[in-house]
Parts: sequence; C-alpha cells; structure tokens
Amino acid sequence: MHRIKKVFKNTRVIVLFIFILLAIVAIHPNPKAEGVAIRNVISNSSANLAGIKSTTPNIAPMSRERIIAVNNIPIKTVEDYYKGIGDLEPGRIVRITTNKDTYKLTVKEKTKTIELNETETKTVIEIVPVNKTINGSLVTVNETRSRIITVPKTKTILLGAEDIGLRVYKAPNTNIRKGLDLQGGTRVLLQPETKLDEPSLDMLLENMKERLNVYGLSDVVVRKAGDLSGNQYILVEMPGVNEEEVRELLAKQGKFEAKIKNETVFIGGRDITYVCKSADCSGIDPRAGCGRSGNAWYCRFRFSIALSQEAAQRQADATADLEILSEDNQQYLSEKIYLYLDDKQVDALNIGAELRGSATTDIQISGSGVGMTKQEAAINALQNMKRLQTILITGSLPVKIDIIKTDSISPILGEEFVRNALVVGLLAILIVVIVVFLRYRKLEIVTPMMVTCVSEVVILLGFAAIANWNLDLAAIAGIIIVVGTSVDHQIVITDETLRGESKKIFNWKERIKNAFSIILVAYLTTVVAMIPLLAAGAGLLKGFALTTIFGVSIGVFIARPAYAAVIEILLKQ
Amino acid sequence: MEEEHKEEQTEKSTEESKETTEKPTEETKVEEKKEPETPKEHKVEKHIEHKEKKRLSIKEIYDKQYKKLLIIPFLILLLAIFSIILKVSTTGDFINRDVSLKGGLTLTVPFDKEIDISALEIYLSSQFPANDVSVRALKQAGAYSGIVIDADIEKDSLEKLVSSVETSLKVTLGEEGYSVEVMGSALGASFFKETIRAVLIAFLFMGIVVFISFRVPITSLAVILAAFSDIIVTLAIANLIGMKLSTAGIAAFLMLIGYSVDTNILLSTKVVKRKEGTVLERIIGAMKTGLMMSSTTICAIIVALIFTQSEVIRQIMTILLIGLLVDMINTWIQNVGILRIYLGRKHKNAQD
Repeated sequence: MHRIKKVFKNTRVIVLFIFILLAIVAIHPNPKAEGVAIRNVISNSSANLAGIKSTTPNIAPMSRERIIAVNNIPIKTVEDYYKGIGDLEPGRIVRITTNKDTYKLTVKEKTKTIELNETETKTVIEIVPVNKTINGSLVTVNETRSRIITVPKTKTILLGAEDIGLRVYKAPNTNIRKGLDLQGGTRVLLQPETKLDEPSLDMLLENMKERLNVYGLSDVVVRKAGDLSGNQYILVEMPGVNEEEVRELLAKQGKFEAKIKNETVFIGGRDITYVCKSADCSGIDPRAGCGRSGNAWYCRFRFSIALSQEAAQRQADATADLEILSEDNQQYLSEKIYLYLDDKQVDALNIGAELRGSATTDIQISGSGVGMTKQEAAINALQNMKRLQTILITGSLPVKIDIIKTDSISPILGEEFVRNALVVGLLAILIVVIVVFLRYRKLEIVTPMMVTCVSEVVILLGFAAIANWNLDLAAIAGIIIVVGTSVDHQIVITDETLRGESKKIFNWKERIKNAFSIILVAYLTTVVAMIPLLAAGAGLLKGFALTTIFGVSIGVFIARPAYAAVIEILLKQ
Repeated sequence: MEEEHKEEQTEKSTEESKETTEKPTEETKVEEKKEPETPKEHKVEKHIEHKEKKRLSIKEIYDKQYKKLLIIPFLILLLAIFSIILKVSTTGDFINRDVSLKGGLTLTVPFDKEIDISALEIYLSSQFPANDVSVRALKQAGAYSGIVIDADIEKDSLEKLVSSVETSLKVTLGEEGYSVEVMGSALGASFFKETIRAVLIAFLFMGIVVFISFRVPITSLAVILAAFSDIIVTLAIANLIGMKLSTAGIAAFLMLIGYSVDTNILLSTKVVKRKEGTVLERIIGAMKTGLMMSSTTICAIIVALIFTQSEVIRQIMTILLIGLLVDMINTWIQNVGILRIYLGRKHKNAQD
C-alpha cells in the first residue's frame, strides 16, 4: 500500500497522468452522442435558407451540429434520418432539431420550365432614345413607351419535393477523425500539367475550394503535396461522397462564361481585367439594401468589374436590341445575363437598363443572399459575392490538371475495418501480456507495462485530435510500431533493472541510465528512418511517419520514464 | 563462391588464433580449445572435426565456433543477393510491384461466402484478354471476408470490371458496395522511385545516428551491415513467396530499418560499452532481453496476421515478421561474431 502511494507521488508518474488527462479532454469521448452529424449543406437548398450552416473540414468532430429530431421524431441513425425526410411534400414545413437550435425548413418544389410550341403576348415598358427638336436644336431624349411583344409560352412542371439539402453521417463519439480508409469516401490526387510557383498554386487551391463550395461540398480537404523529386500534387479528400461529378469538376480546367441570349459575352479570367474587392466598390448594395419578403430577408450585393474592350463591344452588340422591363422601381433589360461555370449555370443577373447597347468596360455585377434574419441575409449575400468574385478573377484554372490517382473507399468496408482493428489490437495486447507474464511472473511488472502502452496510445490519439490528423490505415500501422517499441523498451528497462538487482548495483540512477542509453539510440534510429517519408510520395504516407515519430517521442520522453520510476519503486528492496 | 568463402574464413581464424594464444582472459580459453582445429587445410578433416563436436552443447558451440557460425548469415546474404540479381536479370525489376507501384486498379469487394477464386480469375481474364488480372481472397481468422481484384486496366473499364464481377458472383454491388483504387501508371512509377529513395535516405540517416552514438567504426558498421542484411534477405524472401509489394509494403521496410536495429543496438551497447562480466555473459544477457523483445513482437504480429482483414496491414505484418526472424540470425550470429572478432583484436592490441 505504501509503495502504491509512493508511485502516485512520483513526479514522472504525475506528468504522465496530466498528459493522459489532457488527451482525454482533447479526444472528448461521449459514447452517448445522439443523432446524425451534418456534413454538408447544399447552397440555396431549403436547409441552407433556414439557416443551417455548412461545416468546414477543420472543425472538431464533436463540435459539429447534430440532428437529433425531425418533426419531433427522434433520429438515432442515418437510416432514421432518411426515413424522417423521406416523404415530404412541397410547401410543407419540416422542423429539424439539432443539439444547437431548431430550424423550420420550407420544402421547396422541384420544378422544370419547358418552352411550349405556342406563343403569348406580353406588355413591356421600354425607354427609347428619340431625337427631338426642342427650341430649334436637336437633342436626344429618353421616352418611355409601352410595347407589346410576342414570347414563347412556357410551362412549369412540378417534379415533387426538392431535397432539403443536408448531407449527414453517423454522429461521431470522439474527436478522433477517421481517415478515408476508415469512414469511406473519395481521395483524388491531381497534378498540374506544368509546374506552378507558390502563389499560383495557392490561387489554384483557393479556386478549387471555391468550386467545391459551389457544389455545397465544404467538408473537403484540399491540400498541396509534393515529393522528393519536386513534383507538385494536389490532394483532395472527400469523406462520404462518391460523386463522380465532383471528381471531374476538380480536374476540369473550368470555364466561366457570361451569356446573354445564349451568346457568350465574356469569359472569366480572359475578358475580365479587374474585379473590385475593396469596400468602396463592392459589398452590400447601399441603394437596394436589405428587404423582407415573407419569412425571409434578402440582401443585395454589388461589385464592379472591368471588361476588356472586345468583351465590352460584344456586350454592346448583344444588348443593343433588348427590351426594358420595370420591376420594383428598377429598370432592367428583358434578357438576363447568365453565368456559367463549366457549362453549369451558377447565377442569372439582371442587366441595368442603362447598359443597353453601350460598350462600357466598367460594369456592375449584383446578386443577393437570403436568410432568416437581416444579418444572416447580409452574411450570405457577402459570401455569394466572394464566391462570384473568385470565379470571375480566377476564371479557368491556370493550367490543365490531370487526375493521376483516385481511391474510393466503401463506407461498409471502412466500418468493418475499424471493428476488426479494435479486435486485433486487443488480442495483440493480450498475447503480449501473456508472453511478458510468462517471462517475469510478476504482476508488478506486467501491470505498469500495460498501463504504459495504453497511455502512450491514448496520449497519441489526443495529440491526433488536437492536431486535426486523420486516423487512417497508415496511422494505425504507426500506432502498431509505437506499441511495439514501447513493449521492447520497457523490456530493456525491466531487464537492466533486474540485472542491476542481481549484480548488486545499488545505484538505481545508474541502472535506469543504462537502459535509457540503449533506448535513446533505438529511438533515434526509428525517428530518422521515418523522416524521408514526411516529404516523399505526395505525402500519402505522411500520416504514418507523423504518427510514428510523435508516438515514439511521447513514449520515450513521457511514458517510459514513468514506467522506469514505477518499476524502481515497486522492485526496490 | 562458397568455397572461396570458407577458405577466407579458415585463413582468418588461423591468424586469429596465433594472435590470441597468450591471452589470460576468457578469450584465451576460447582460442585454446580451438587450437587443435584451426590449422585445418582440408575439408575432409574439417568434417571429422564436426562430428567430434556433436557432443558439445549448443551454448558451447555458440561460444566457441562464432567464426564458423558467421558463415550462416553471410551465406544467406549472398544467396539473397544472388536471387535478387537473378530476379533483375529475368524480370528487369528487383521486386514484384503491385498496382499501387505499377499503375492500374484495385477493386475490393466485401464478400463472406466461399468462392472459387481461380474460376473468377479465369472468367475475368476472358473478359479482359489484353490485361493482367489477378484475384485474391481476403480471409479473417480462416473465414472469407472479401475479394481483391488487381488489374492493369484503365479507369474507363472500371464499370465493365464491376459488372463482370457482379455477373460472376451473382450479386449487385451498388455504389458503396466496393472500394476501388486507381493509380496512373506514370504516378505508379514515380511512387516507386520515391519510396525507394525514401528507403535509401532512411538507411543513410540510420547509419549516421549509429555512427555518432557508437563512434567505433567496426561496431557501427556491424549494426549497419545487420540492417542491410535484414532488408536484402527480407526482400529476397518476399520475392520468393511471390509477394506483390505496395507502397505500404515499402513503408514496412522503413519500419524494419528503425525496428530491427533495436536488438543490434542493445547488443552493441552491452558488449562494447559495458564492462561487467565476461563478453559471453554480456552477450547472453543482451540475448535474453533481445529475444524477449523479438518474441513479444512476433507473437503480436502473428495474432494480427491471423485476424486482420486489411490487405495493407497484412503485408506490413508479413514483412515485419520475415524481417524480425531474419534479424535474429543477423543479430545473434552475424553481429555477435563480428563483435567478438573485433574485441579479440582490440584486447590483443591493448596487451601489446
């Protein structure tokens, strides 16, 4: 009893326990975490409009918003969730209760507009410049006229309820991030065709992230990677999704087009010479401001861009004979300008009436954001603005990008693997305990040894949770090495100590020093063997190297000294 | 080659014995007993000697015949080098690369029924006559848990491959029912180069650390030689059992560099840096600890090999298992032999 008390008073043991505590706080285990966690919110979906926010890849798993009920029916699994939102009708209100808030979503209609073979007439108001003689001199005045035009008749077909736009997954129980191997998902390795300098590469990455955001995929890791030969790679990891489309989107060079009446007016990057990002010419439109419409708030943003001469001329030609429509006291041309990203329409903007037929290079682009509150609408508007600005500045990606490796990992396999890995880990520990016990036949040795091994793994996992590492197969291999070296080093410590006992070396410091002189060299060889992997092979084995290096460091500097101290106290005669 | 080696060995030991006869320490005891056998010139006589020695215990052989025992690890190393050279000259490559190092596609399908792997392979090969398709079963504790298909086909043919597998197994897989890994062939080749380079750099770094910590050229070289032999022999055995190496497999060789030298470091520290007891006592002491280290690891590896269902972990574990077994020979015969020869000479020089 006295000895056990002494063990817990030892500084090294106390340090170890502090680290274990910190690690547990970081891991934040909660086996009772309910519901399903929100991964992505599709932009402009009803969930997005109701104010549910998309997550970013950096957010800690336990801090993610979790859905715990849909229409007051508790949600326990992903299946429950899909059942809950399964048969929705357009216009119905869905109550989504999360651990943070309750949202009321209005289910949107899924519609499609088709042109019929008939035509209808429409009255439009237009402003026409007319030459008039006033007081004997010829001047141009704008005259408002109403005119009747013939347009093709359209019909809107209802396709049922639109998806509410949430992507969910099983709520995590800890802050440990599972890598793709373990949770399923898609990993794409891309390579720019020509080598880029650092700013261009950053720009490219920013551009790709923006594009993924356009698709509502914010929970995607996009990062630079390199190798020992100086090749550049871009690694994209999309957990949970298996969308071919997204994969293609990343590698597409990306063309941004603005079209009026199906004619291309300008192309992103090439035709746009300047995009204003400063406060005086971009931001919430001071004239239009924010307004309420029904339940929701709308805020308008605007920013100015400069077009090249040729693009300005094209715009003048395209708008020369458009009608002017009046709406909410503002005058627009009868055709909108449609913005396309890789042939997918991302926005439709009204063209101010004053732009008709003029070859201006300075034009203003506007749009809006929606939200439940004024503030939220403003934030959304600014976010949409930033996205559009990015697309307009970057336009196409600076170089062609090749997909050189894709892995898509089935979530079923991943889940099985985690269970399997736990079983294997436990069995391996058990067998090691048996072997060690057979050799030393002393519980005073076996127990601290196992506690040390387990605490090393716990501290390592805590580290991983803080540092945002993904725990994948490679990292598990790293943990195996850590535990392996841990047992080895503790055997060295034990043997040196016991040998000192039999040889009557009374200086305990000497015995421990002897053990650590071996351990330190062994430790250094393991660490330096892992260093090249930090840089090699597009960083795909970086996780393995990092886990191993950190794990053995924790072991050698925190846990194993504590083991030595405990052994010293328990075995001292 | 073998003969040459033996001759060299005999020559060495002759020299040794002449040098060390006057020593009063335990080294002398060793050499004295050796005295009658050392001036052997002919193989025939050697054989007779061997028969006489049979009465000696293993410990005595280990103690006294360390120079002769050295032949074992060196012979294994030479055979390994020879088999790798042979492999390079026949296939142009020193390992069997899997798709992650060669380019191609790996399809993993969870499947818990027993199936005829070779029938599936024949069927798939008939569907893709121009390509190399291979099928493996994933087993977990003896029970089937899945199928892995490796094929050097392009990504465009993935759908065809999946539907062929579906027809053959009479199942529908769906989008999430399988994992697929596609590796561009250019990237495969560059990955291969990268990882090999990583292994070389790791080896160099390890050598530097060993040199700095021991500061004795012979001791350091012995540790480095042991690590080198571990890698080469493990590689040769992996080739022999037809293992197809992936990136993870090469990572396992890196593990081996850091991991297998641990016992060598233990041995060298105890034998060279420590002074208490006789050399043999120190060696036996180190061996008790070292074999304990290796046996806990080997037991854990065997458990993992039986129960894991991950191909990646299985490959890493297999390589580590081979490596650790090889390392036992390289530590307790090769490294011990070299250290004893070195200590013998050092002692002689000190006495002069």
